[in-house]
Amino acid sequence: LEICSFSGYKIYPSRGRTFIRGDSRTFHFLNSKTESLFHQAKNPRKIAWTVVFRKMHRKGISEEVAKKRTRRAVKYNRAIVGTSWEAINARRNEKTEIRSAARAEAVKKAKEQRKNEAAKRKAERAKNPTADQKYSKQQARGAATKVQATSR
Amino acid sequence: MIQMKSRLNVIDNSGAIVAECIKVLKNAKWAEVGDEIVVSVKKARPISDKTSGSLSAAKIRKGDVRRALIVRTKKEIRRPDGRYVRFDDNACVLLNNQQQPLGSRILGLVSAELRFKNWVKVVSLAP
Repeated sequence: LEICSFSGYKIYPSRGRTFIRGDSRTFHFLNSKTESLFHQAKNPRKIAWTVVFRKMHRKGISEEVAKKRTRRAVKYNRAIVGTSWEAINARRNEKTEIRSAARAEAVKKAKEQRKNEAAKRKAERAKNPTADQKYSKQQARGAATKVQATSR
Repeated sequence: MIQMKSRLNVIDNSGAIVAECIKVLKNAKWAEVGDEIVVSVKKARPISDKTSGSLSAAKIRKGDVRRALIVRTKKEIRRPDGRYVRFDDNACVLLNNQQQPLGSRILGLVSAELRFKNWVKVVSLAP
């Protein structure tokens, strides 16, 4: 399968002509059109439909070049200041039951603590009934003394 | 498509430069690559007694009538694969009456058809 020396098209068998010049250079032509243009000494780079021209002016190449360039984000295992990588990994790989159990425990603990505190406060209040009364700041200061007239 | 009065370049070193066909040696009007013709030498390289040693035995002069073999034609030849090939000029190689080339070297290309027409000697001389 040859390529036309002028236009760059493929020449299938039994098509076109071959020309051997005096200096022994061989030229293949697809048809009489290309052959004629060649002998008129036309420059294929200036003939708009030839492969040479299209390459030079970069026609129709954009379709081939636009491949999809996917950049894959690389995952890194990084430790954070405060917790080491193993701690993070352990946390991540905890099983859900363990986690929920831990959570339930924490909840229980918190509830208990709150209960205890409430009980404590109640006991304190029972001891000092007034100590815990809420006064506003103004009340604590006392009423402003009335200004008495000292002179007339 | 060489016929009577066609001029051909002689591309061997026999001394002739241009030959003119005077007879096509087959029962046809035209001769193609690989056909024999009778030529008359129209231009020959000047022969001097000093250089005679380097030439082949036969001295070709202008006006000699010899046989020749057509090796290149401007008219395209059809190859069995359907291709057509043509050269830039018409060329021949001089032969003697026993169909052997007169020159000892062939300068320039010859067509590949010669091989199929059994001109092996000529083909082997050509580059």
